[in-house]
Amino acid sequence: MRRWMAFVLAAVLTGGLTACAGTPADPDEAQESIQVIAMDTVMIISAYGEKSTHTVYMAEDEIRRLEGLLSRTEPDSQVSALNHADEQPTAVDGEVSRLLNAAALYSEVTGGTFDISIAPVVSAWGFTEAENRVPSQAELDGLLTHVGMEHVHAESPDAVWLDQGTQVDLGGIAKGYLADRIAMLLRENDIPRATISLGGNVLAWGDRPDGTPWRIGVQDPKRPDDAEGFAGLLQLEDAYAVTSGGYQRYFEQDGKAYHHIIDPATGYPADSGLISVTVVADCDREASDGLPGTGTMCDALSTALFVMGEEKALDFWRNSGYDFDMVLVTADDRVVVTAGIAEQFTPDEAGGYAYEMVS
Amino acid sequence: MRWSPKLRPNGWDGLAAAIVLLLAAACAGMLWGRGAATGGELEVVVSIDGGEVERFVPTDSAGEKTYTSRGYTLHVLVRDGGVEVSQADCPTQDCVHTGWIGRAGESIVCLPARVIIQLVRTDGGSDPGGVDVVIG
Repeated sequence: MRRWMAFVLAAVLTGGLTACAGTPADPDEAQESIQVIAMDTVMIISAYGEKSTHTVYMAEDEIRRLEGLLSRTEPDSQVSALNHADEQPTAVDGEVSRLLNAAALYSEVTGGTFDISIAPVVSAWGFTEAENRVPSQAELDGLLTHVGMEHVHAESPDAVWLDQGTQVDLGGIAKGYLADRIAMLLRENDIPRATISLGGNVLAWGDRPDGTPWRIGVQDPKRPDDAEGFAGLLQLEDAYAVTSGGYQRYFEQDGKAYHHIIDPATGYPADSGLISVTVVADCDREASDGLPGTGTMCDALSTALFVMGEEKALDFWRNSGYDFDMVLVTADDRVVVTAGIAEQFTPDEAGGYAYEMVS
Repeated sequence: MRWSPKLRPNGWDGLAAAIVLLLAAACAGMLWGRGAATGGELEVVVSIDGGEVERFVPTDSAGEKTYTSRGYTLHVLVRDGGVEVSQADCPTQDCVHTGWIGRAGESIVCLPARVIIQLVRTDGGSDPGGVDVVIG
């Protein structure tokens, strides 16, 4: 009898151990990662936790939904409907209305350096067309008369309209807003840790599985094709980071390079002495409610600060009341890091930059 | 030592003990093996249009591979434990310019062909000194 008991106990022991081996020791360590090509960029969603698979596919659905809603080149989007309404009031979703109002706010506080109504000028340079070209000054002057948020009337979602000749492009905040939306999904699904990379927009959610902060490499704008060429390394936990740079999309004509970030004041590619701006701000996990928030702010500010240039960007950082930090890469080979993230930033000496910390 | 006749160990008891020991060793072996497999092997994951089409260990797959998508062809060279797009007929050539990648978290992207070649570790980790995400 005892012998058979020994067999039974051995079987139970084996079953127990193999059952343990078949499932992860900690459900938080389950991981899912997907790549999505959308909004003219590559997005990589990596999440950990019991609901990681469910959550990354929800994030993909959200990416597709927002692309369909906000794309300027998608004929059925609400933004396209607005752009082709010939001044007729158009009903839009409350979500689109909120984004238009967020865009108006960031335009106002940044002195118009961020402006979604710059769209026709960007098109004149060919950045949304098949071929790039340098428009004439007369053409730019004509287009610039329709640029400015005073031409966008979005007080009520039931009746939004644009003045004649004005068009909007929400591309400057759409990915930031998408980061805000995905943060909400991560919170709702109890995702302990994740990295969300939306083509220049990153959300570092929680920490790495080994308990250290996520390591975010800031691409060296002078070595854009070098996968290991960084201006520095940011160690972030629960933070948004967004980079704007003129090195990502540009064309050359007659030996001169023209990039895609247009200064609304001149109609020309911004020539501010900055070649890359990275904006970093804390992500309050509990406050991630899916409304335009910190992700949207980082996206808008990175463009605006790039247009402003170093001096005005630092003034804005010190005096605007917005809570964020920056990494500025200048055309004269300096990397300027603001005090709030100085300890989380590690220079990459291979880039040959002089590093400065400002407070 | 004196044994009651009923309690004295015999051959069957020895066999039972041996089986228990063997099963325990088998369990330990399984767990040990599993631990080794998740120790963080570097893998190349190739996706086209968002769907994974191939996954391989670069150190075991040196040589050239070819991927065709949306009318473009990418020639991928697997060497030195990493990969590079050695040649492509896409208009932007960004994939070729990226050069060789060999660390977890790095990727080569060809937007016109919608091909993404990414290096991952089987345990989801990244390389010491490497980065988890690149921004810019």
